[in-house]
Amino acid sequence: MIQFENATRTYGNKVAVSDLSLTIPSGELFALLGPNGAGKTTTIKMLVGLLRPSRGVIRVCGHDLITETRSAHLHLGYVPDEPYLYDKLTGHEFLRFIADMYRIPRDLSQERIKREIDRFELHEFADELAENYSLGMRQRLVFAAAFLHDPDVLVLDEPMVGLDPRSVRIVKDLLKAKTADGMTVFMSTHTLAMAEEMADRMGIMVQGNLKFLGTVSELREQVDMETRSLENLYLEITSSETGEDEVASDDT
Amino acid sequence: MQNQLLDIPQENQLTRRLRGTIAWNLVTTIFHQSRFRFGLVLVLSTIFWAAVFCLFYDAFNFIDSMHAEVMSLLFNTFFSALMVMMIFSTGILMYGGLYRSGESSFLLTCPLRAEAIHAHKFTEALWFSSWGFILLGSPMLIAYGIVRDAPWSFFIMLIPFIVTFVIIPASIGSILCMLLVAGLPRLRLHTLSISLALVAMGILWFSWSTFGSVQSQALTPAWFEETLSRLAMTEQIFLPSWWLSSGLLDAALRGESRELTHKSTLEALKFLGLILANALFLSLVASWVARWTYRKGYSNLQAEVPTRRHRKIFWLDELLSRTGSQVGNPIRLLLVKDLQIFRRDVSQWSQFVIFFGLLALYFYNLRSFNYSHVYASLIGHLNLAVVGLILSTFTTRFVFPSISLEGRRFWILGLLPIHRDQIVWSKFLFSFVGGLIPCLGLILLSDSMLGLPWGAVFVHLTCCLALCGGLSGIAVGMGASMPNFRESSPAKIAAGFGGTLSLVLSAMFIILIVITVGFTNHFNLLQQTIGQLSGNTTSRLLGSYGGQVASLLIIIAGGLLATFLPLVLGIRAFRQLEP
Repeated sequence: MIQFENATRTYGNKVAVSDLSLTIPSGELFALLGPNGAGKTTTIKMLVGLLRPSRGVIRVCGHDLITETRSAHLHLGYVPDEPYLYDKLTGHEFLRFIADMYRIPRDLSQERIKREIDRFELHEFADELAENYSLGMRQRLVFAAAFLHDPDVLVLDEPMVGLDPRSVRIVKDLLKAKTADGMTVFMSTHTLAMAEEMADRMGIMVQGNLKFLGTVSELREQVDMETRSLENLYLEITSSETGEDEVASDDT
Repeated sequence: MQNQLLDIPQENQLTRRLRGTIAWNLVTTIFHQSRFRFGLVLVLSTIFWAAVFCLFYDAFNFIDSMHAEVMSLLFNTFFSALMVMMIFSTGILMYGGLYRSGESSFLLTCPLRAEAIHAHKFTEALWFSSWGFILLGSPMLIAYGIVRDAPWSFFIMLIPFIVTFVIIPASIGSILCMLLVAGLPRLRLHTLSISLALVAMGILWFSWSTFGSVQSQALTPAWFEETLSRLAMTEQIFLPSWWLSSGLLDAALRGESRELTHKSTLEALKFLGLILANALFLSLVASWVARWTYRKGYSNLQAEVPTRRHRKIFWLDELLSRTGSQVGNPIRLLLVKDLQIFRRDVSQWSQFVIFFGLLALYFYNLRSFNYSHVYASLIGHLNLAVVGLILSTFTTRFVFPSISLEGRRFWILGLLPIHRDQIVWSKFLFSFVGGLIPCLGLILLSDSMLGLPWGAVFVHLTCCLALCGGLSGIAVGMGASMPNFRESSPAKIAAGFGGTLSLVLSAMFIILIVITVGFTNHFNLLQQTIGQLSGNTTSRLLGSYGGQVASLLIIIAGGLLATFLPLVLGIRAFRQLEP
C-alpha cells in the first residue's frame, strides 16, 4: 500500500531523510517515532506529496506520488499536526466540499457526512463557522473529513494533539477497526505509549535514518534481553550519534 | 464504491462554489456582526467614488475644451502605470497565495490538478489586485463617457474592457512568480531585492526625466508640451494599455452620423477582441506554467533551509537598555522587545519603508516646480495631511492590535514584576517615537522643497508633533480599551469594530488639526503676499498674528487631549482586564 524506495530528501547540504526504504502493507498501522528534527515531518510531507524526494520513489497503492499525484491522492486521507480549515465555512459545508472533491454521489455523500458527524459527535457545532471552533473541535472535523471518502491509506501527523480523552478513544477504536478492514495507517507520534498500544510495526528515526524497524514485540524482546524499559531503549536509540549500535531488524 | 477524479470543469465548479460560499458567509457575517463597519465602508466608498467622479468630470471638461488630443496620452500613461503596478501586486499576492498559505498546503494534498489550485488562487489575487482599479477607474471612465457624450455602447463595453484588461498584467505577474520560484528558489530574496531596486531606480529616472529638467519654465505651455512629449513613451502599439486606451477612445467617439458612430464602435470591438484574445492566451500560459512548475516549486520552497544566524545584541537595543534611570527600566525593556519584533517582521517595516519612501520621493520632486507662496503653503498643508493619514493607517494597522496581541502572551507579562500601565505606556512611546522621527523628516523635506518660510515650517512641525502624539494615543488607548485576545491576526483585529472606530477618530483628528492650522497659516501668507485682506473680518482675524497663536494653542491643546484622554481611558480599562 505504501512504498518508500530509497527515498532521500535534502535541505541544502543537510540530509533530512536518508535512503528510506520501507513497505507498509494493507491493514497495517505503522508508527514513526523519533526526536524533534529526526525527519518524521519530512517523511510525512513526502508521503502526502507536499515535498518531492530528492532521490527515490514513493508509491501509494501503486501510484507514484510524482507522476500520478492525483491518483495517489485519491487513495489518501491526511490529518496534519496543524490542520487547515476554511474559517468562513461551517463544518457541514467543509465536509460537503470534501465529498464533492472525491466525486462522491450526492445521496451517498449525505449518508457519509451524517455518519462522520455521528461518529465524531459534531452535531452541536456542524452548522457553525469554523472560525469559532476550539482546537479539539477543529481536530475532530479534520478527522471526519479524512475518513469521509473511505481512504485506503491514512496519514496522521501527531493525531491526538488537542483531542479530549473521549475523542482519543473514538479515534483509537476507529483506527483499530479500519486497519482490521484493510486500511493502511501511517502515523507519526512523539508518544511511545501510543505507538506501543496502537502500532503493528514501528520505526524509530534519528537524523534522517531509520534506526529501528520492527514489530512492537520485537522491540519488547530487546527490552527483555537487557532488562530495561521500553522508554530507556527508545532513549538509547534516539540519543545514539553514530548508528553503529543499531538494533534494527530486517524487513525494509 | 471507488472515489473518482474530477474533470477540469468539475474542479473549476468546485473551487468556484467554494469561493461563492466563503464570500456569502463573509458578507452575512459582516452584515450581522459588524453593521457599523459595513455601513461605514459602504458610505466612505460611495463618497470616495463620487469625489473621484466629480474630480474627473471637471478635469475632462477642462481638457475636452482645451486639449482634447492629450486624452490618448493621459489614458496611456494611466493604464500603463496601472499595468506595471498590477504585474507586481499580482505577483506578490500569488506568491503568498500559492506558496505560503495554509490553504495551498491543504489543497496540494487533495486530488486536484495544480492548474485548478492555480486558477482558484489566481481568481482571488485578481480580485485583490484589481479592486482599486475598479474603484478608481470606473468613476474616471464614466465621467469621460458623460463629458464626451459617448454612445450607450461605451458604458456597456466598460466592464468587458476592464475585466479582460486586468487579466493580462495579472497573468504576467502570476507567470513571473511561478517561474521565479521554480527556477530560482534559492536566489529569490536576492532576485526580489534586485527587482525592487531596479523598479525604484526606474521610477526615479522616469520622474526625473519627465518633470525634473524643466524647472525654469514649470507649468508653462513649453513645460507642458515637453512633459507630454516625454509621456508619449507610454503610447507603444504593442502594449495592452495602448489597446485599452485606443479601444475606450474609439468606443466613446460619437460620429457625425450613425454610420461613423457604428464604425468607431466596431473599431472598439476589435480592440476588445485583441485584449480578450491576449488575456485568454496569457491565462492559458499561466495555467500551463502552473501545471509544470507549481508542485515542483512548492516542494523546492518547502525544502529551503532558513538561514540560522546568531543574532548579536543590536547597538540600539543595547543603548536603550542602558540609558536612563532604573525607575523606568521595564518600559525600556518592553520597548527593546517591540523594537526587535518590528525589525524582524518584514511585513511591518517593509510597508513602513515603501509608504514613507514613496512620500519622500514625491516630496523630493516638489522642488522641480516653482510655486507662488500661496500655492506652496496650500501644498504644504496638504502634505501635512497626507503624512498624518499615512501615519494613521500604520497606527491603526500595527499599533492598535499590539495590546490585543500581547494578550496571547499575557501569562509571560503577567508573571513579570511590571505594572500593567507600563505595558500601555511602552506601546505609546514606541508608536510615538517611531512615528515622530520619519514624520518630522518628511515634513522638513516637504517644506524645504516648497521653500516655505521658517515660521510656517515651525507651525507644521508643531502640528506633526501633535499628530504623532494624538494618533499614537488614540491607537494605543483604543487598543487597550477594546482588546481582542481571541484573534491572532493583527489585520483582523484592526479590521474589527475597535480598529475601524480608531481609524475614523484618527481621520477626524487629522482633519481638525490640518484645517485649524491651514486656514490661519494660509490667510497669514495671503496677507503677507497681497497686503491687507479685503475680505470679511473673520478672514482678517484668522490671518492675523493673534489668529496664528490661537490656532497653535488649539493644536497643542487638541494634541494633548487626543494623546492623553484615550490613553487614560485605555489604561483604566486595561487595569481591570481579565484575559
